[in-house]
Parts: sequence; C-alpha cells; structure tokens
Amino acid sequence: MKLVILSFFFLFSLGASSAESAPCGNYGECDEFAPQLNNLESLQLGAVTFMNNCYGCHSLKYSRWNRIAKDLEIPEEIFASNLVYGQTVKLGDTMNGSMKKEVAETWFGISPPDLTLVTRLHGSDWVYTYLKTFYEDSSKPYGVNNMVYPGAAMPNVLASMQGQQILSCKQVPIIASNGGVKRDSSGNNITEEKCGYLKTIPGSGTLSTEEFDEVIYNLVNFMTYVGEPSRADRERIGWYVILFFIIFTSFAYLLFKEYQKDYH
Amino acid sequence: MSNQSSGIFNWVNDRLPIKNTYERHLSKHPVPKKVNFWYLFGALALVVLIIQIVSGIWLMFGYENTEEGAFASVEYIMRDVDYGWVVRYMHTTGASMFFAVVYLHMFRGLMYGSYHKPRELVWIFGMTIYLVMMAEGFLGYVLPYGQMSYWGAQVIISLFGAIPFIGESLELWVRGDYYISGATISRFFALHVVALPLILIALVFMHLVALHEVGAGNPEGVDIEKYVDEDGVPLDSVPFFPYKILNALVAIGIFGIVFSIIMFFFPEGGGYMLELANFEEANPLSTPDHIAPVWYYSPYYAMLRAIPDKLGGLIVMGAAIAILFVVPWLDRSKAASIRYKGNLSKIAMTIFVISWLMLAWLGTMPVTELRTTLSQIGTVIYFAFFLLMPVYTSIEKSRPVPERL
Amino acid sequence: MEEKLTTRRKVLIGMTAAVGSAGIPFAAVPFLSAWNPSAKAKAVGAPVKVDISKIQVGQKIQVAWRKQPVFVIRHSKEALANLSQIEEKLDDPQSNNIDEPYRDINPTRSTSNEFTVIAGVCTHLGCSPKYYPKMEPQPWDETWIGGFFCPCHGSMFDIVGRVFKGVPAPTNLKVPPHNFRGNILTIGEDKGTA
Repeated sequence: MKLVILSFFFLFSLGASSAESAPCGNYGECDEFAPQLNNLESLQLGAVTFMNNCYGCHSLKYSRWNRIAKDLEIPEEIFASNLVYGQTVKLGDTMNGSMKKEVAETWFGISPPDLTLVTRLHGSDWVYTYLKTFYEDSSKPYGVNNMVYPGAAMPNVLASMQGQQILSCKQVPIIASNGGVKRDSSGNNITEEKCGYLKTIPGSGTLSTEEFDEVIYNLVNFMTYVGEPSRADRERIGWYVILFFIIFTSFAYLLFKEYQKDYH
Repeated sequence: MSNQSSGIFNWVNDRLPIKNTYERHLSKHPVPKKVNFWYLFGALALVVLIIQIVSGIWLMFGYENTEEGAFASVEYIMRDVDYGWVVRYMHTTGASMFFAVVYLHMFRGLMYGSYHKPRELVWIFGMTIYLVMMAEGFLGYVLPYGQMSYWGAQVIISLFGAIPFIGESLELWVRGDYYISGATISRFFALHVVALPLILIALVFMHLVALHEVGAGNPEGVDIEKYVDEDGVPLDSVPFFPYKILNALVAIGIFGIVFSIIMFFFPEGGGYMLELANFEEANPLSTPDHIAPVWYYSPYYAMLRAIPDKLGGLIVMGAAIAILFVVPWLDRSKAASIRYKGNLSKIAMTIFVISWLMLAWLGTMPVTELRTTLSQIGTVIYFAFFLLMPVYTSIEKSRPVPERL
Repeated sequence: MEEKLTTRRKVLIGMTAAVGSAGIPFAAVPFLSAWNPSAKAKAVGAPVKVDISKIQVGQKIQVAWRKQPVFVIRHSKEALANLSQIEEKLDDPQSNNIDEPYRDINPTRSTSNEFTVIAGVCTHLGCSPKYYPKMEPQPWDETWIGGFFCPCHGSMFDIVGRVFKGVPAPTNLKVPPHNFRGNILTIGEDKGTA
C-alpha cells in the first residue's frame, strides 16, 4: 500500500507541474532564471539599471534605501549621490517612487504598479522573460507589445539597448505525431513556415544580445533580491539549523535505542 | 537548603497536586511498549501548537489589522523587523505542518481504530479540534489581505449565501461591510488570535485528559489493560519517563529537520503553502485568474466544486467533515486495527486514501470537465467509505486479536 | 524491566541535553531581536536638523528627536559667565558621573559656545522639566537662579541642565550627540554627512 501511495504522489506532482496555460503567455515556457543573491556586483549593476530605467515610474515602496545600500555593500555616500534621485530623500525612507500617482494616471491610463514584490508574485522567470520579449507593434499606443503579457501598457524603456525587436517567421521542422521530426525520402527534415518568433535587428541597439541579456539578468537578480531581501540570510542560516537538528536527532536516537533495550 | 526547598515544595504540593499530576500524566504515565511511528504525530501536533502560539504572538507585535495597513504590515514584519521573516515563515510553515501532522494523526486513528470503545470521546474531541483548526487556518489566511486572502474569503463567505432565507443577510453580518474590508479583518483577527486559540487549547486539554483516562491505543488493537501488575500498571506498558519521552525526542528531531528544510528553503511550498497571488495586495475589483485553496483544504474544496449546486455543495462539504464525528459508531468490526480486519476493510481503506489524495490534488487545479467528473467520483468514494462501513465491517471476517502486545 | 544508569547512558543523556540546550540561545535570538527598534522606527528616529538662527538670546526651543523632547537654549554671555559661580549648589558640576560626550569644550556642554543642547527628560523618572530662566524667587526655591524645574518630583537643574544638590534626580540631564554647521544644528549624529 505504501508503494501505491508513493506512486500516486509521484503522479500528482507530475500533474501539478504540467501547467494549464503557458506560464509566459504567447512566449510559452518562460526562460529559466537562477538568481545569484550573493553576487554583489550583479546586484549593484541591477540596482543601477533599476534606478535609471524603472524607478522613474515604478516604486519599491516596501523597501528602504539604506537597507539596499547595506545589503549590497554600497557605502552610503556613494549610494546617496549615485543612486538616490531627489534631494529630500532620507536614506531610512521607503522607496515611494518619483512619480505622482495622478501624473502617472494621465500618462499611462493606470498608475504603474509597485515592483517590490513582482518577482514573488509572477516569479523571477516571468519577469526575466517579460523584459526581453517586447516587440514592435504599431497598433499599440507605445508602438510595442509584449509576448509574455500581451497588451502591456508600458513602453519598452530598454529599447535603445536592445535594439529593434520584431515578430518574424521562420522555417521549423514538422513534428510527427510520434514526436519525431518528419523527414522526406532523402532524409532531409520537412519544414513549414511558422510565425510569431522574436527577432532582433542586428546593430540597431547599443548592446549585443548577450550584453543585453546580462543587463536584464542583473536587473532581475536585483528585483529578486528586493522581493525578499532576507533570502540570502535565510538560506545561509537554514543550513546551520538543519545541521543542529541532525546532530540532536543522532544523539536522541542513540539514547532511545539504548533505553529501548530495557523493554524490547 | 535542600530541606528548605523541599519544605516549600511540600507546602505547595499539599495544596496543589503537582507531584500527583506530574506522575499521573507525565513521568509514570503508562504507554504501550510497542507502538510505531504513527503514534508520534500527536506529540508533534502539540509541538506545532506551541510553535504557532509563540510565533503568532510575535507576529501580533508588527501586524496591523486595518484594510490600509494589513498587507504593508506583513511586509514590514518581513523586512523592517529584525528576524521578522523567521517569525513569519515559522508561522506559515507551522500552519501547513500543523495540518500535515494532524492529517497523519487522523489517518493513524482510522487505520488502527483509535476511535474504538472506550476511545470514542477522544476521537470526538480530536475531530472538534480539527474543525476549529480549519476555521483558525481560514481566518489566519485572510489576515495578510493579499489577493488570495481576499478572494478566498470572498468564496468561503459567499457559501453562507447558500443558506435559504437568511443567507444573504448572514453574509453581510459576517463581513460587517459590503465587501471584505477592514471591519472584516479586525473581527477575523480577534477570532484568530484570541477566541479560537482559547477554544483550541481547551479542546486539546480535554483530548489529552480523555486519552489519559482510557490510555493510548496501539497498532495491534490489543487491550493492554487486561494484564496488569500488582500496582495496576499494564504489563505491556512502559512509563513515559524515561522511556517514551525518548521516542518523542527523536520524533521532534526528525520533525525539526523537515520543518527547517521547508521553512528555510521552500517557505512558499511551491505556491501550495503561500500562494503566489497573495504577494499582491487585495483588489476587490479584480479576481486572480485561478483561485485555489491552500493544500490542506483542497480535498473539501474539490467536493464543493464537484456539486453543481450552491447549497448542495455547501451541504456536501459540511457533511464530509460531520461524518468523521460518527466513525466510532460506523465501524462494527471486532478488531480495532486494520491489521486484524478483513480484506474488505483493507480494500476500502486503500481506495479511500487514493481518492482523498486525488481530491486534494483536484482541489488545487483549475476546473475542467474531466476533473469535475473525477471530483464527483472522489466525493462518492469518500462518502461510500464511511456510509458503507457498517456493512463491510460486519460482513467481513476479522482475524482474532492477540491477548498480549 | 529495570532501569540501569550505565556510563553509556550517562554520556548519551549528557550529549543530548547539551546539544538540545545549546540550541536554546540560538532559537531565542530571532525572538529577542524582533523586539529591537525596527528599520521603520530607526528611520523615524533619524537625526533631525534645526535652523538655529532664529532663536533669541535667552530663548529655549523644544525639538523632537526620536519623539523625545530635546531643548536647545541660546545663552547670553552673562548667563554663561555666571555658570562657574553657582557650582556649590550643584551635585556634579563637571559631569563626572555621567558619560558626557563633549566634556570640557564649552561651558554650554555642547560643541557650540553659545547654545546648549540637552535631552528634555528628567534623569529621575522621565518627566520633562520646565524652563524658568529668570533669577527670581519661586515657590520651590526662594533663591532660584534660573534653570529647569521638574513638575513631577521637584528635581532642579541649572540652565545647562546640571542637577542641583538634594533633589531626587541622580545625574545631570543628558547631552545628545549633535553637530553645528553654520546655522544648522543636527541632533542625533556627531559628524554631519556631506
């Protein structure tokens, strides 16, 4: 019976992970994102990108300036002069954004959401993929649309780095019903034209694809950190707690076995 | 010095039965000598209860029970309070572990017939604890006032609307507002932190007193009271101290490992313990794409959804819990333990477990036609297991239960 | 069945108990730390800046730092000159009994030679003393020479917050960390940020 239960657990976990609709919208599966919360350089670069490109419209209202300075090991003077915009800001304050809500609503129709918890709400994978999948679409008010979140009411602020990204078509192999690639009699793959692929026009942005990916990686790494600033601590402390319980359990088990001799 | 302190002790002990109570309920309390790991979840449930009370008190230091402040105050605890995240994750992990431990404890009861005469009241107190826990967990989940708190509460409170005649006004009365507002969370807060915990502690006390009156069961279903020594202590028992406390210590150690793995490395439990949509503040104007309960309610939520009628769903869900209370009178078997029951009981138990797990899984998934059908089948099996119990336990032949453990 | 306390048992009991109790202080850390001032409290309690150019000679203003009263007094030259003459009335004129941050710099006890900056919290039981600057007879003292009087339990301090002899307050009023930059007084930190 134990085996039955175990195998059912296994089946359920399979069923649960195979998603209902694709997690990243029209893009399908999200690009995987593995955060490096101890990589201070990446976090610092991400913070700079965030402050320069995102903080103009989005707030991080549950986060405090000096917490970020402390965790990212940026000296407060350097932090205050390079990353904090607005002279009236005190470093102990929360990061309430630099745009007034009413202004935002006239500009965008809605006020841009707070981003403190966005990586926890949607997952870092989702945010990472979202930021890379804007494409040109003249039918939209900002001239761009997004694969992950179609109809996003947000301009592609990083377009100058990434360059022009468009939807294009390409030849893809036809997958037969048995899962293999269909081939013609001479053994070549049979292909068909499929559309909806992202393509960046080379040379139209200031960064190469790899460089741009790295910028986004650092940015999302920073946002992952902001989503749960204690996560690195949490995972570090966790090992010690587990180790403690292992040692404790070992002694308790030996003691239990020793006393069990009396009545077994 | 030691004379003096024993003098004080005696003075107190003559007026308050410390020594007697300690010996009767702890140190000399006889416990069956051969029990397996299934018998340790009760002790663990007590441990989690303490964890929940302590971490809950600490959360109250930072939590704000207002519509404007609730969500932000949770993030305040997570970020601005030193080690606030430890306290909060302890509480959220504790909630899930409480249910995990209690479900295993209940399953043990079903499997080894812990409800058999004379332990019917122990079982009933236990089921009442479970019922209060479900309410407690629900109220607690509303407090962070995230999207899932809001819409989960919306769904559950709307269930009251199914009650004929008074339903709608009852809904309004429970909320104290036209939507789940600050008024709702302040009353839920008071219930969650004061009223229900008091009831819970009282019930746990009764559960234990009743248990100690009739003695703990064992996986064989042997009545160890039959053979006692000259002091009336069962021969097949050992005193809790220093013997059985060691089983508990080992169990607590292993439980600590499991608990800390989850708490420090998977506090969201893949979205089944802390739902991701709850990382967004409640918005009464926008429902999330997919509303699922946390895992520990999901079997009953699946039953609710399986019934294509609002009142019917509510009744079925209520009946699914209510039927657990009468199990001691549904089981007609002479043997308490599944080990000595007949094959029909064994088959029924296996199917029941599988279908309960299936329901648990279905409850977390979005609805499709196939899944609704599966949920309906699961619901039928769930009720059939209990309602047919008097039949299959009386027609099957159980093996004789041994005299000694 | 008989319980025997062998050496092995003793050792194992000792080890289990030792490991178990070693965990207790660690488990207590988060619960004790959670009572410290949070980041929010620290932000609210951040240093405050005051423009002191508007304070008249002889005037006292009250500033809130960490939601506690801080008195800033601008003294006349005469008042400061008198300070050394009243020392026989004082319990601890040199502030030897407390941790004085700016000892022996100015008679004002601050880093300025004109302003006094003191915590407006009586060192007896925490009431806020009142300022009676004039040298005139008072109900509590016929020979009042000007200073602070605490309405709760009658403690008396001179105009720079030094405690009188024979009053309940044990020590002088505290001097909070501060610095002067031009007309800006910052209470709560020693050195100004750039």
